[in-house]
Amino acid sequence: MKIQRKKLTASIPSFAMGDIGFLLLIFFVILARAQDDSHVQWQPANLKEVEMVASPLASVTIDTGFKTYLDGKQISNDELASSLASLLGDSPAGQRYVFLKVHREAKAAHFEPVIAAISEAGGDLIHILEPKDQIQ
Amino acid sequence: MKLKRGKVLVDPPASASSDIAFILIIFFLVCAAVQPETGIAQILPKTEEKTDKKDQSQNLEVSITPSSIVLNGSPLKLEEFRQRIKAALESKNREADRIVTVKSAPETPYPFWIEVSQSIEQAGGILTLELESERIITVE
Repeated sequence: MKIQRKKLTASIPSFAMGDIGFLLLIFFVILARAQDDSHVQWQPANLKEVEMVASPLASVTIDTGFKTYLDGKQISNDELASSLASLLGDSPAGQRYVFLKVHREAKAAHFEPVIAAISEAGGDLIHILEPKDQIQ
Repeated sequence: MKLKRGKVLVDPPASASSDIAFILIIFFLVCAAVQPETGIAQILPKTEEKTDKKDQSQNLEVSITPSSIVLNGSPLKLEEFRQRIKAALESKNREADRIVTVKSAPETPYPFWIEVSQSIEQAGGILTLELESERIITVE
């Protein structure tokens, strides 16, 4: 006579599924924010009429020392256009958003070559500014 | 005589506290990082070097200095400039006619520049930057 062996089943506890899903979601949200430039010091200029802007493919910053950064890494103005072009890749026009964060004390000599480089790379330029009412 | 009922104390499982702390850290990290940003979009024609100046003579020319704006040779204040550029662009229907060439002095501050460029775009102009290119000439 054969004695049937009791089958052992190992199931994943289903009550943990919500937590696992949530953690995965957070993980991908953080990965998506690869272009972190929070360490770059700058103060935005103010303008009366500003609007909420879409998320960018790249972010260019001119900091308080008037140095240029691409996605948080310092870069020279000569290299900016080619680096931006490779970052933007084949994205269609209208979705090639590039954030330009210029320190409020910057002069035309600092920001115009950067704007020209963004234009050369075919980026859709968005100036990051603060609404004037917030300050006053 | 009253009998005291023993209180049942339920401790949260200690094994979950690290998970809770981790989730709280992530939550605050994401809240701090994902702040909506505000700004303005600017349409710029693709940069190219132009040697031929024939077609450019029809375009409006704006020079920006730290203290004033010069539109086609006449110096203006920002409010005046807004009205003049609007009036100048109103009659122009073709895209090519609405190109406004902007030349800035190197010392022009960014907040002033952005106000002028916004005025041009709000008036229906297409902003084009005129940059001075550096050329090294060796004298023998």
